[in-house]
Amino acid sequence: MGKAYRFRDEIVLGDLAFEATGDSVSELFAAAALAVIEAMVDPLSVETSWTQEVRLSEAEIADLLFEWLNAIVFIKDTEGVVFHDVRATVIRDSEKNPWHLEAVLIGDRVDATRQDLRTDVKAVTKHLYEVRQQEEGAWYAHVVLDV
Amino acid sequence: MKLATAMKVNRLTDVVWEIPETEKSDMLVPARIYGTEKVLRAMDAGVFEQVTNVACLPGIQRYALCMLDGHWGYGFPIGGVAAFDVEKGIISPGGVGYDINCGMRLIRTDLTLADVKPRLDALMTELFRTVPAGVGSKGFVNLSRRTFQEVMQKGARWSVKQGYGWDSDLAHTEEEGCLTEADPEHVSEHACQRGMGQLGTLGSGNHYLEVQVVRNDRIYDRHVAEQFGIHGDDQIVIMVHCGSRGLGHQVGTDYVRIFEKAMKRYGITVKDQQLACAPYQSPEGQNYFSAMNCAANTAFANRQVIAHQIREAFRTVFQQSPERLGMRQVYDVAHNIAKVERYEKTPFLVHRKGATRAFGPGSPDVPEPFRKVGQPVICGGSMEMGSYLLVGTVQANKESFGSTMHGAGRTMSRAQAKRTVHGATLQQAMAQRGILVKTVSMSGLAEEAGIAYKNISDVVESVDTAGITRKVAELLPIGNIKG
Repeated sequence: MGKAYRFRDEIVLGDLAFEATGDSVSELFAAAALAVIEAMVDPLSVETSWTQEVRLSEAEIADLLFEWLNAIVFIKDTEGVVFHDVRATVIRDSEKNPWHLEAVLIGDRVDATRQDLRTDVKAVTKHLYEVRQQEEGAWYAHVVLDV
Repeated sequence: MKLATAMKVNRLTDVVWEIPETEKSDMLVPARIYGTEKVLRAMDAGVFEQVTNVACLPGIQRYALCMLDGHWGYGFPIGGVAAFDVEKGIISPGGVGYDINCGMRLIRTDLTLADVKPRLDALMTELFRTVPAGVGSKGFVNLSRRTFQEVMQKGARWSVKQGYGWDSDLAHTEEEGCLTEADPEHVSEHACQRGMGQLGTLGSGNHYLEVQVVRNDRIYDRHVAEQFGIHGDDQIVIMVHCGSRGLGHQVGTDYVRIFEKAMKRYGITVKDQQLACAPYQSPEGQNYFSAMNCAANTAFANRQVIAHQIREAFRTVFQQSPERLGMRQVYDVAHNIAKVERYEKTPFLVHRKGATRAFGPGSPDVPEPFRKVGQPVICGGSMEMGSYLLVGTVQANKESFGSTMHGAGRTMSRAQAKRTVHGATLQQAMAQRGILVKTVSMSGLAEEAGIAYKNISDVVESVDTAGITRKVAELLPIGNIKG
């Protein structure tokens, strides 16, 4: 199946809901990030001149995904960038915060003359927010973005 | 066509509907929805589900309300209004929205369509240049951290003091553009970082700057219109819709997290995680109220800076001073906010999310120039169909916690709108109808097409019939800046 995401337009009319899936947690995190990225810009219209590493740790996987998606929104505003692609690796260990994310965001400074900009994402909401491992082992998330 | 809910919905009047508290476990009060039967039938399932979730929140008073333009949001429905006991009730970021003090500003002019039409292209180009819009846009105002704190505390007063606007603008702004109880100490470093460079920017989504015309046949209450500085005769006005930008978005994000943890301590459960809340009198509740006021003040400051940029653009294009062009502010009003207000001498914490304050004549909170007629209410429709200027009523103060609608209300998702309309085609079609659109995003333009919204005239007729605002004038678009 691999990583995938799908915008759901039958709910939350003014905002953006999406489902993301991945065979692994890492794939889920990459898929969900790409959904957030694609809400804001056509990634193919963005160059790759800028990168930033993101490292996060949380006790719960749902909190880690939430913090990760929020980090993308935060970096977009503070760095003035939009994104082309993302790499994400999620590992689990036995420390206090067992879920760790190591990710790289790849993109470029915002430039409306060169990029196909879409809608600004204001926030990642907790409305209908869900992260779970499905029976067959794949990972699933449901997210609503305020745009 | 049936309603989008299986819940019992009782007709109270032709435009007020009630879901009794027996329809959902934990409802503390009934839920009331405004709208004609036609408007009610067009509402999605989320409205009914969410307004009844709000009716379960601790300390809610009388009823949970949804206005006529209501639709599925997150936490509260868009169009949601709820008042809470100030001692025993809660405060919830889900009842305000992430775009704290998203609101509307209207500026009138002495120009007419005949004056503006020959220079409309130059005007829209200049406005598009001076009012940044879209994803990642940055404003021209450079702020130090200390100065940004002053913006959070002083709001529009800070902007005017810097020369971005006129003293008279403040008298024509809700709360004179400055909410007290705004301590930047309660705003996170992250929120400051997000908001620092964005003063004077529109944002994207449904935010816009619009040049509009007031035709004589679209003035419905000439006496009130004249009190608001609107006289028709193809008069030009300018409308702005935007909010607190990244600062407000991050304040909302921060406090939803804080409240999730606090709810466990206070033994509060909610039917939607996005309704995370805390007792208003708790330290967490008071801190959010203070941070929310900081964001609300920043939104007032933002719209004030934009108003200044608009006046300067008119000065450049028409080679006359904004004073000479009669560019006075009609009003600036929030539609995403929580405020303590008194009704029949009792204080309530009123949450409005996609709903506008609509105080009637005689209310001490209505600025002196309008106190005899009521507060101006600015409702943005779609960029194709136009917008309305309304006036608050005594009935709103009695019945809807001084609240009314804020826009047309969506009936179509963003994706569906994009499948139905192409941005470039829409831009051309609107140009042929005399509406010049400048946009950062063609897909964003398609998402805001008129077909994605209810007909605002239907909604306004309903609200007029309901009596919680009265219509004053319709404002027809001729130019739009879209983020």
